[in-house]
Amino acid sequence: MIGFLQNLADALSLGSLYALAALGVGLLFGILRLVNFAHGDFISIGAYALIVPSFEVTAQLFIGTWNWSLMIPAVTLIVVIVALISDALVFRPLRRANAPTLMIASFAVSYVIQNGILMVYGARPKAANLWSGLDAPILLGDLRIPLLQVVTIGVTLALMALLTLFLKRTPYGVMMRAAAEDFRMAQYLGVRGNFVIGLAFAISGILATAVSLLYLSQTGTLGPTMGVPLALFAFVATVIGGMGSLLGAVVGGFLVGFIVIMLQAYLPEDLRVFRDAFAFTFVILILLFRPSGIVPTRAFIERV
Amino acid sequence: MLAIDDIHVSYGRLRALKGISLTVAKGEIVCLIGPNGAGKSTTLAAVAGGVAATKGHIRLEGKDLAGTRPEAIARMGVSLVPEGRHVFGTLSVAENLRVGTYMRADRGAVAADIERVLAMFPRLRERIASPAGRLSGGEQQMLVIARALLTKPRLLLVDEPSLGLAPKIVDQVYEILLEARKQEGLTLLINEQSSHRILKHADRIYVIRNGHIQLAGAAADLADGEAIKRAYFGFGEAASSDANEEEDAA
Ligand SMILES: Nc1ncnc2c1ncn2[C@@H]1O[C@H](COP(=O)(O)OP(=O)(O)OP(=O)(O)O)[C@@H](O)[C@H]1O
Ligand SMILES: [Mg+2]
Repeated sequence: MIGFLQNLADALSLGSLYALAALGVGLLFGILRLVNFAHGDFISIGAYALIVPSFEVTAQLFIGTWNWSLMIPAVTLIVVIVALISDALVFRPLRRANAPTLMIASFAVSYVIQNGILMVYGARPKAANLWSGLDAPILLGDLRIPLLQVVTIGVTLALMALLTLFLKRTPYGVMMRAAAEDFRMAQYLGVRGNFVIGLAFAISGILATAVSLLYLSQTGTLGPTMGVPLALFAFVATVIGGMGSLLGAVVGGFLVGFIVIMLQAYLPEDLRVFRDAFAFTFVILILLFRPSGIVPTRAFIERV
Repeated sequence: MLAIDDIHVSYGRLRALKGISLTVAKGEIVCLIGPNGAGKSTTLAAVAGGVAATKGHIRLEGKDLAGTRPEAIARMGVSLVPEGRHVFGTLSVAENLRVGTYMRADRGAVAADIERVLAMFPRLRERIASPAGRLSGGEQQMLVIARALLTKPRLLLVDEPSLGLAPKIVDQVYEILLEARKQEGLTLLINEQSSHRILKHADRIYVIRNGHIQLAGAAADLADGEAIKRAYFGFGEAASSDANEEEDAA
């Protein structure tokens, strides 16, 4: 029982990261029909922004040494700026392009960011110690939960609540939801298209930063493609959840986290290397029974 | 107020508008009628900035709209109710109504205006918290018109307000549009497939067919419907396949 609860805590905290990443992906898909493969690289940028540019193996923290109340806004700002620049330079000229074109453009953005990181920081993975105080466990009876997991789950829930409040209660949130549903009609009602898209990129950047910081504190290593697997699972999460549904992205994220951790824990030892293959089998099974995802939307009805 | 001068619009290789010219004066109700595929919706979309003209000019109070984004045109006081009931289905009725008010400068007057349109459309008040996607077709049509009125337009473009609505509701919709014109000096450009209702209300009528204006005139002069019928089907080519449409048109 204790073992299972321990696994559940692991699943929730991994699922949190996937859910946050999936929200960032889902938000842009909803409004732009963009499947943003560069989202993983936004996550990497958030981690690299913390350290001094160098080719050293042991990363020297730079912004990372600042007090968290200064560091978090600074890193967030950097990632948001990168996200906004990718929109302005790459996606804005492609506003009328179809979804596959946008996706290919996002591959290009991803490639540029990864090579940028290579040039400035080198190719080798780096060790970095962020927020080591969070390693301390919380004891609940016999259950030992790392504080970091509690923080991860807490931050995720808080961000989801804030995003929900924003989307439901503020004028810009309502405009974004309207634009995600019928972009042209929203424009006919005076909603500034480029502005709401920029807003979506900015929020996507904020969510990516949260993933960067939480993930880096968990793993303690940076690599030029560190965000890619996270983004990959986030895509899987949005597909299972139902492309275009934010609730679906969150549910999908937690579900993928749950599947991965439970397979890791309960697969026979010699099958564990095939964990991801099993995980994707589950995904295929889910999609066989619910082809349009757990929370289906009209997202695939093309915009006019 | 609005002057369209010889505009051409194509969708890929298909030429939808082949030189349309028309004018709408301030406070007028002008109606564009024509058969399916004539180019009515394309004309309205061109004015609202939804499609670009390859040739010709659209001027709003003298200002050329070429290259202006739809949202900027909306902010200049032009509101389009496109065909096909574009409600935001997952947004509540109240949120749908508010979307178009965020650009308004007179934010203080919004609440009272919402109250006023809800008085005009009591059905919407009953459904105020439901997702707009759950409304019936007629309720959705009321919603898109109410939403457009709440943008406080000076020029309202309405694409087939009567499509798929019960005759009683159509009359009600027209009453509300006429009332808005009287109270707020609204100018209206309306598309319809058939002239029979609009002849009562419109000041002037254009008949459009196959991307060309076939006939233009004051509604009073066209009241007997004969000239409209001929323009609608083209002279002497009112083929048998069109015969049943002819009924609707007249
Ligand atoms: N988005 C589009 N893509 C391609 N062709 C289009 C598009 N919209 C309209 N067309 C074509 O342009 C022509 C004019 O269409 P339009 O919608 O303006 O006609 P309409 O007069 O509004 O007809 P209806 O009464 O059926 O609404 C038609 O031949 C139509 O098939
Ligand atoms: Mg039409």
